[in-house]
Amino acid sequence: MTERGWDSILFYGNAWRKDPFRSLVNFNFSGDHALARLSRSGEIAVTFSDPWDAEIASARLEPEFVCAFAGGASAIAGLEFMEERFVAACGTLPVSATADVEELRRVKTGEEIEYIKQACDLADRGYQHFAAVIEPGMCEFELVAEVEAFLKTNGAEDNFMLIASGGTEVVGMKPPTERKFQAGDSITTELTPQVNGYYAQICRTLVLGEPSQGQLKAFAIFSEAQKAAEDLIKPGITAADAARAQNDVFRKHGYGDYTGAKYTRVRGHCLGLYPDETPHILEDVDYVLKQDMVVIAHPNTYLPLSGYMVFGDTLLITETGNTRLNKTEKKLFTK
Amino acid sequence: MKRGLITWDKAELPPSVFEARLARARAALAKHDLPALLVYSDVWRSNEGRHLTNYMPYWNRSLIIIPREQAPLLLCGLSPRVYPWIKSVTIFEEIRPASKLVPTLLQLCAERGWTQLGVLNLPRLPHEIHLPLIASDVEASDVQFDLTDDAEMAMRRHAAEMAREILTAEMPKGAGLTDYQFSGLLERAFRRAGAEDLILLFSTSDSAPRPARGATLGNKYSVAVALEYRGHWARVTRGWPV
Repeated sequence: MTERGWDSILFYGNAWRKDPFRSLVNFNFSGDHALARLSRSGEIAVTFSDPWDAEIASARLEPEFVCAFAGGASAIAGLEFMEERFVAACGTLPVSATADVEELRRVKTGEEIEYIKQACDLADRGYQHFAAVIEPGMCEFELVAEVEAFLKTNGAEDNFMLIASGGTEVVGMKPPTERKFQAGDSITTELTPQVNGYYAQICRTLVLGEPSQGQLKAFAIFSEAQKAAEDLIKPGITAADAARAQNDVFRKHGYGDYTGAKYTRVRGHCLGLYPDETPHILEDVDYVLKQDMVVIAHPNTYLPLSGYMVFGDTLLITETGNTRLNKTEKKLFTK
Repeated sequence: MKRGLITWDKAELPPSVFEARLARARAALAKHDLPALLVYSDVWRSNEGRHLTNYMPYWNRSLIIIPREQAPLLLCGLSPRVYPWIKSVTIFEEIRPASKLVPTLLQLCAERGWTQLGVLNLPRLPHEIHLPLIASDVEASDVQFDLTDDAEMAMRRHAAEMAREILTAEMPKGAGLTDYQFSGLLERAFRRAGAEDLILLFSTSDSAPRPARGATLGNKYSVAVALEYRGHWARVTRGWPV
């Protein structure tokens, strides 16, 4: 704050983007809005829009939440997500502190890493449960219900989860549908449980029955690509390097066309208080990775061999390389 | 993110319901002599867009455009790979990729010759959308109109009934469990019954309801359920013992 000349910063969170608020006050609010005001002297004042949150946190309640912004601040983390009426209530337009705060958030503390390790352990156990309960005839949404129940039973606050099932016609993942699993299906999922505010992720693919030659060949490429990233990621390399390492494997095997936006989104991303933190692992992102950042490298994409396939693990960047935080076996699962 | 069942049962919400809702939106546009309506939608603020189009951004955010004279279209932050699925559960026939929402919106305005735009709840637009829109050559003005109808109320009643039925069956099972364990049990029951989203809060004493935190429920507890069924929310609270 001193460097920027800021006297105060507001940390705003809403029900979708709690992370700017929770980066200062790690309280899992259940109402619509939360705001923390940090002064340069280090005092923190917290306001909620929901009376239950205010009572539990012994904080100020402001049902007319727009009033919480009276007096404004030098800067706001989460400004971009704020409703315009809140911004207007600040008076003078504050500057955004979002990028500065996000940069601080990228390098995790020991406590944050412990939370992410707990989330990784839960992701591993959640995937074991996923593989144990799935069966032909079950609907996608029923499987998600079973996994969600397992994760919540074991302490997850939240979970980011995508799924897809089928064959070469599947081009991406989405929320679950009423489609019933069939023998031969390739079933992909990203599991991303949140523990004490922090998300960790695992991506795996499971085939019901004997995998086809196409599925086996595709998985070998995904495995090689993920390993290339895992072997490379360390402090000093860029997100672009990590993406290129993965994409080069696809290119080597003749599938370079499937590394672009038409067939995939990102080759990984950071994890923390938000499940899809930046920087994204993409060939045009020159951000230099640092020790104690947590990233997932996942070469998830469509291939004509298998349809959409996913494979990835959460990695903690260490002084000289990285540590894989997931313990789940690195294989194409079958059942 | 939304990870429950998102679907469109046309027997439950016929296309005619959405046609009537769009007609109300267009009547509001006509009243203000505006060429199109913008409705902001994200994973948390989806109710208005859902009401008008059945669109639910399970993740990310989007802009819904309802022209006065043409079919609605979606400017979508999600990948084109999920557009076939979006089309299967919404009224949209046209979806445009929009990783940068406002530039895509302004391009559309230029294409169609729109110099004005109505915005549903303009003061509630996220700052990141509002700022470049207001700074553009397109004049944005706030538009309000009634977003309730009989179909909306029927769906909400259904959601409330679903919450009541499941809580009636499940509440006795919480005794002696932790709130984590009971949360898992309720998640399973609600999501298998087709809940789209769920917020569970627990109370074990005189304190306010809160998210699960590993506390033992004991023999006296209450649960507040906010349940979303196909875009329609209901909140039901129950105590145990009754």
